Amino acid sequence: MNLKKIDVNINGKDYCLEVEENLRLIDLLRDKLHLTGTKEGCGEGECGACTVIMDGEIVNSCLVLAFQADKCRIITIEGIEDEIIKNSFIEEGAVQCGFCTPGMVLAAKSLLDKNLNPNEEEIREAISGNLCRCTGYNKIVSAIKKAASIKRGGDSE
Amino acid sequence: MNELKIVGKSIKKIDAKDKVDGTAVYPQDIYLENMAFGVTIRSTRPHAYIKVDTKEAEKIDGVIKVFTYKDVPGKNHHGVVLKDHEVFASKKVRRIGDPIAFIVAETKEIAEYAKNFVKVEYEEIPAVFDPEEAMKEESPKVHDRDNVFYHFKIRRGDVERAFLECDVIVENVYKVPMVDHAFLQPEAGVAYLDEDGRVVVIASTQYPHFDQEEIAESLGVNKDMVRVLTPAVGGAFGGREDITVQIHLAIAALTLKRPVKTIYSREESFLAHSKRHAMKMYYKTGALKDGTLLALEAKIIGDSGAYASWAMNVLRKAAVHATGPYYIPNVKVDSFAVYTNNPFTGAMRGFGATQVPIAYEQQIDILAEKLGLTPIEIRLKNCFREGSETSTGQILEGFIPLERCIEELKSF
Amino acid sequence: MEAIKPKSLEEVLEYKYKYKNDAKIIAGGTDLIIKIRKGEENPKVILDISTIQELKGIRETLEYIDIGSATTFTKISECILLNKNLKGLKDAAKSVGSPQIRNRGTVGGNICNASPAADTVPPLLALDSILVLERKGRKREVYLKDFFKDKGRVDLGEDEILTRIKFKNLLKNQGLGFYKLGLRRALAISRLSFAVFLEIDEMNRIEIIRIASGAIGRFPMREYELEEYLTGRIINEDTLKEAESLLERIIFERLKGRQTAKFKSIAAKGVFKKALLNALYLCKGVNEFEKN
Repeated sequence: MNLKKIDVNINGKDYCLEVEENLRLIDLLRDKLHLTGTKEGCGEGECGACTVIMDGEIVNSCLVLAFQADKCRIITIEGIEDEIIKNSFIEEGAVQCGFCTPGMVLAAKSLLDKNLNPNEEEIREAISGNLCRCTGYNKIVSAIKKAASIKRGGDSE
Repeated sequence: MNELKIVGKSIKKIDAKDKVDGTAVYPQDIYLENMAFGVTIRSTRPHAYIKVDTKEAEKIDGVIKVFTYKDVPGKNHHGVVLKDHEVFASKKVRRIGDPIAFIVAETKEIAEYAKNFVKVEYEEIPAVFDPEEAMKEESPKVHDRDNVFYHFKIRRGDVERAFLECDVIVENVYKVPMVDHAFLQPEAGVAYLDEDGRVVVIASTQYPHFDQEEIAESLGVNKDMVRVLTPAVGGAFGGREDITVQIHLAIAALTLKRPVKTIYSREESFLAHSKRHAMKMYYKTGALKDGTLLALEAKIIGDSGAYASWAMNVLRKAAVHATGPYYIPNVKVDSFAVYTNNPFTGAMRGFGATQVPIAYEQQIDILAEKLGLTPIEIRLKNCFREGSETSTGQILEGFIPLERCIEELKSF
Repeated sequence: MEAIKPKSLEEVLEYKYKYKNDAKIIAGGTDLIIKIRKGEENPKVILDISTIQELKGIRETLEYIDIGSATTFTKISECILLNKNLKGLKDAAKSVGSPQIRNRGTVGGNICNASPAADTVPPLLALDSILVLERKGRKREVYLKDFFKDKGRVDLGEDEILTRIKFKNLLKNQGLGFYKLGLRRALAISRLSFAVFLEIDEMNRIEIIRIASGAIGRFPMREYELEEYLTGRIINEDTLKEAESLLERIIFERLKGRQTAKFKSIAAKGVFKKALLNALYLCKGVNEFEKN
């Protein structure tokens, strides 16, 4: 297998890496850089546990080859410092087994970066690519509502 | 009364912070020095005699060893109630997905590649997939015994006579399918030897203490030579009660004296763990004109698949809950757990109490319709209250707010 | 496998000329990466076009709306150039997968994979879209309706790639409606979908209708027989009923012998009707069949 040189910015840090040509972005993050907050739940884009932000948009890192990320900016859960979203998840009981949580937080972040006043429909749409088997989603939705409300300047709902 | 500190309060989960930060450690997140990687070879046939040849795979550069039943130092079996699982299939596979071999290699890529070179010869034999077929004497036997391995009975009152007194009788058959837990974190684990020579197995499990026993038995060592650590568990719902990665990893780590890791893909996860029991439920329920339930006769057949797992407990629970939360004076219930060559079934949320409502609640609705009662009226007439006696003779005491709960539904 | 990330369309065509069918195009990768990992595809070379600017974006020319083949579903569903009469195309783009999939998956991939269930293909068929196919030093155009040859097989030369998709922008009295039936709302592969392009006069008489179905045959296709029946008729309850029974017969005939025949031929009626009413609504600005 040939190695390919890529320049990629991950969580604000520049990396110059040599990667196998068939390596997926998720394998690069986990196996090479040990950024294990990015989870693999299905390996085919159904569950969203591997969600990362790539050039400003959420993507499934299991469906991106590492070489495609050349010259891209990647943000993983380790690069998210949004305590408002994270605390809302904790306080609303939106975290159970936690395996979907990083992906959910990134999906929520991506939504709230664009829309600080989402309605319930928009929230559910924004997390529709992320599966959770524990919570039944309601608490995740209320966590995102709460985070939006705090970000708008209110205390909470 | 003193103010309660925890009851009635919203408590933050102790590990929630690590989980939102992405720093909580699941087994797949563990990377150790000199760690080898294992992949499992599984049966692709539901019922067959097998011959395994690992020679070609072991010649591949980077393959350290291919483990089969011959490499199990202790007992080649496990199981939560009956020890009917094999660690590695020795002579015969009983379902698609039975583990046959465990390839340990320097890297995951090599181990995956080597899969193509483990030769499994299958001599297929007749299989049985329908539990009712499996109950017949002439059907293929999944194990060296009758396929029906559990029969639970409830007898109360005189069902035959009571049916004669009923004004209306409803008889139906209900079927519910298998369900997978589909917990979000696929099975994974790491095993290594600690400085005292003990085998340490890190795996997401619901039963570290059971696992310790089963691992020790398969390794042929004392329990105190085995440590099982449970890191973050990415959902379970009953699906992590049976052994999956644990013994394979322990044998490999003990034999090779180095850390070994394995991670299942989503597909393999579906093959590896139990399912919710599919059930076929024959129901005959009778009532008087005014809606009073008088008699129930039920036969519940649970498909246990290739292994027993928790089938006895699940089918017992299904029978105990067969009347639903309704008082019925005359009850005859028979529940069966049956081996087939299907995926094996075990614990899943509700444990047998989840399947029967499909039958008993529909029976009640159909009775109500025939009697010109509303679904609420017939339920209020029969529902459990304080002091009610269940079909197994339990007197319900304490707080039984079912009546209030049904009353509340009137407004919908 | 050799992975190449060309910097321009010219470079892509150069590589495609050099490697021919050995080179597989990857854009979103939402299908290809799964196939490679399952061993269903084993390309010698993959050419990543996901960051080639010339192949991205939507523009309006004098006559056409023109979409680059590497434009993502997200960009289509959010594009302000696609006016409200084209809602059916946006709806279809929005119905693909999930936000993550729509941020990567491209319309060109949707077309070239030739999956019977490709979501954006029926609306593009109903728009009578033209595909621009390019190879080194040559460009040709082909109607989308003529592009599919079989399940997973398209009219694409070994050194050719799809670069643009174009269709005529809609007039005020025209509308494009879409409706999809999936097992759940997100991440569901289409079980059945319809797109309807409609032009009507003030009496609700159908001047032009183009109907395309998804997931009913070997590839998404136009429903000419149904179009012919409806053209020139006034849309009312009777016409709709007649059209639905005709459609049921057509679909049942097409799927004869398949397990899904009965379900799909009946479900198709409702899905088609919803797509048609969506289109009508866009033509009129009101829904005259609201109660349905």
